[in-house]
Amino acid sequence: MGDRAICMTSSEKSDTEIVCLVDDDLSILKSIERLLASDGFSVRAFNKPKEFLAYVQAHAVSLVVLDIWMEEMSGLEVQAQLSALSPQTRVIIITGREDQTAKLAALQSGVIAFFTKPFDDDQFLNAVRGALAMHPY
Amino acid sequence: MSERGNIDQGQQEKEEPFYAGQTRVLEMVAANAPLPEILTNLVLLMEAQAEGMLCSILVLTADGMRVRHGAAPSLPKAYVKAVNGAPIGPRNGSCGTAMYLKRPVVVTDVMTDPLWADYRDLAEICGLRACWSTPIFSHQGDVIGSFAMYRQEQRGPNAEEAHLTQIATHIAGIAIERQRVQETLRERDARINLAAESADLAFWVIYPEQNTAWMSDKGRKIYGFDSKLPLTRDLICSRVHPDERAAVHAAFDRACASHGIFESEHRLVLPYGKTRWVIVRGRCLEDEHGSLLELIGVTIDVSAQKQSDLQLQIQREELAHLNRVALMGEMTASVAHELNQPLTAIANNAAAARRFLERGNIDPALLQQLLQDMVADSQRAGEVIRGIRALVRKDKSVVRSVLNLNAVIADTLRLVSSDVLLRESVVTTEMDHNLPQVEAAPVQIQQVLLNLIMNALDAVEALPPAERRIIVTTRSLSGDSAEVAVRDFGAGLPKDRPQKVFDHFFSTKQTGMGMGLTIVRSIIEMHGGTISAENAPDRGARFFFRLPAARGDSKSQAA
Repeated sequence: MGDRAICMTSSEKSDTEIVCLVDDDLSILKSIERLLASDGFSVRAFNKPKEFLAYVQAHAVSLVVLDIWMEEMSGLEVQAQLSALSPQTRVIIITGREDQTAKLAALQSGVIAFFTKPFDDDQFLNAVRGALAMHPY
Repeated sequence: MSERGNIDQGQQEKEEPFYAGQTRVLEMVAANAPLPEILTNLVLLMEAQAEGMLCSILVLTADGMRVRHGAAPSLPKAYVKAVNGAPIGPRNGSCGTAMYLKRPVVVTDVMTDPLWADYRDLAEICGLRACWSTPIFSHQGDVIGSFAMYRQEQRGPNAEEAHLTQIATHIAGIAIERQRVQETLRERDARINLAAESADLAFWVIYPEQNTAWMSDKGRKIYGFDSKLPLTRDLICSRVHPDERAAVHAAFDRACASHGIFESEHRLVLPYGKTRWVIVRGRCLEDEHGSLLELIGVTIDVSAQKQSDLQLQIQREELAHLNRVALMGEMTASVAHELNQPLTAIANNAAAARRFLERGNIDPALLQQLLQDMVADSQRAGEVIRGIRALVRKDKSVVRSVLNLNAVIADTLRLVSSDVLLRESVVTTEMDHNLPQVEAAPVQIQQVLLNLIMNALDAVEALPPAERRIIVTTRSLSGDSAEVAVRDFGAGLPKDRPQKVFDHFFSTKQTGMGMGLTIVRSIIEMHGGTISAENAPDRGARFFFRLPAARGDSKSQAA
């Protein structure tokens, strides 16, 4: 029940908060955007990592959900640049490939959650809520 | 009746049985009676014409060196035996000398004549005193034997005896020559049969006018015809496999109409269900007026060869299939990723829909869009599975169609895109948009490309990510063939002989079977193409294959 309560609060609170989403697979991008919307989040979706990096320079972004394997540049590269451009932005990684090394590296560099596709929607949304509820650095 | 009339009548009475005897001997010749029998009858006939005369016929051996006993029914056995096999020569009795000199030799007294020096004792024991021998000639004028008359008194031949000799040598000549021809034919037949037997070869003749046909014994065996069964063209053609029968008939008709040649490779179905593969070649023979006389030909049973060809093809296909399965194993990342993407999208969409419904505020248009996307993603997953199945399935992998190689390359690169991504490599393409189409099996061409691309990915693996480059190029070659090149920037091929990479079991990889490029080469060659490998001037390897343009798609006509 406690979880549920937190759930409600954070989703209501986050109605105005924007989650950024970066994945170069359009159908994945659209489906995650809907999943977040179904829980009341506002989403800004990017299918080109570079466009996101440009966006983040002009806007305050609390949370980004990043895919690792993208043609233009990898999610880990995006994260590296992001930590310089916008250190306060939190990062959740989603990947199509089980990769312990990448996971470890990501978590060590401050990524707050790491999901392998396909992932459980509750766990994912909990992580998103948790990330947004965290105090800014 | 006068005295004279009586003499004539006596002469006539004597000559009639002689003529009848000659006729009888000639009939024996015509009926192919055994030569010794014919010659014995001839000798007896001659001996009956003169009192106290003994005759013999000797036959010259085929090499023309020795005499062989022909017929001598009245001469002592010991004498006959001694003469049989004696050489001919300038001083070899009457017969040996006559055959040697090619002219009659008359020895009036064997006791004194130097020609008989070697045979004198024998002649004395046998009571022979005079011997007149005349060579027997063939039509071509070659000596083929001799006819001799022996007397127990010392004298030369009279006119009648000379006349008898003429008749005897003439008839004996016909008999011996005919027998020789038949022997030659028999020998030739035996040789041909031997060759035919060992080559699984059948001979046949079709007489279109009479609607009859002849076939050698081996042929009847190949076609499954009883040795006595009268044959016709239709009967022979009835053995042809139903699928090919019309074409064989048409080819026969064409050959008959043009008085030309007949060639066909087809199957025969024998009465007990056995199938044979045969190659048939024939040609028309004309008579002196140019009308069609007959169609003669041979049929070669190539079933065994076909069987082993088929076996080889099956093995080759098995091997190619194994290679495709192995490739799939190497492409795990792509396979998993390609399936994972749509499945993830479906799961997310479904979860979102459930949540919207739980909240009770879903927009029907959004729900519809969401469901539509789920259907599309399921189809995308289905496509991936279909693609994999097409690549690993055994059947239909060799079915050809007209292809644009640029499109096949694009499909293949899509298939391996995840592996390229995960291996942090880059594949770029330089496509010739005027590339001629080729006639090829799409699965096999994809297999070739996958092998080359996976090899290239392996080759660049050791390089820093920024240098892991592969370039796939296509270009038209003088309009009638298409070339595809896969170039990497890795360590390159063996310097001494780059082509070594196509050898069986040659592998530089830890896990490689060493069959990939061998299979690649066999696929390209089966498509009438060529494949080659070289080291690029700066670095890396370059593999390029060429395929002939599909018929009717040669750009050279336009150029």
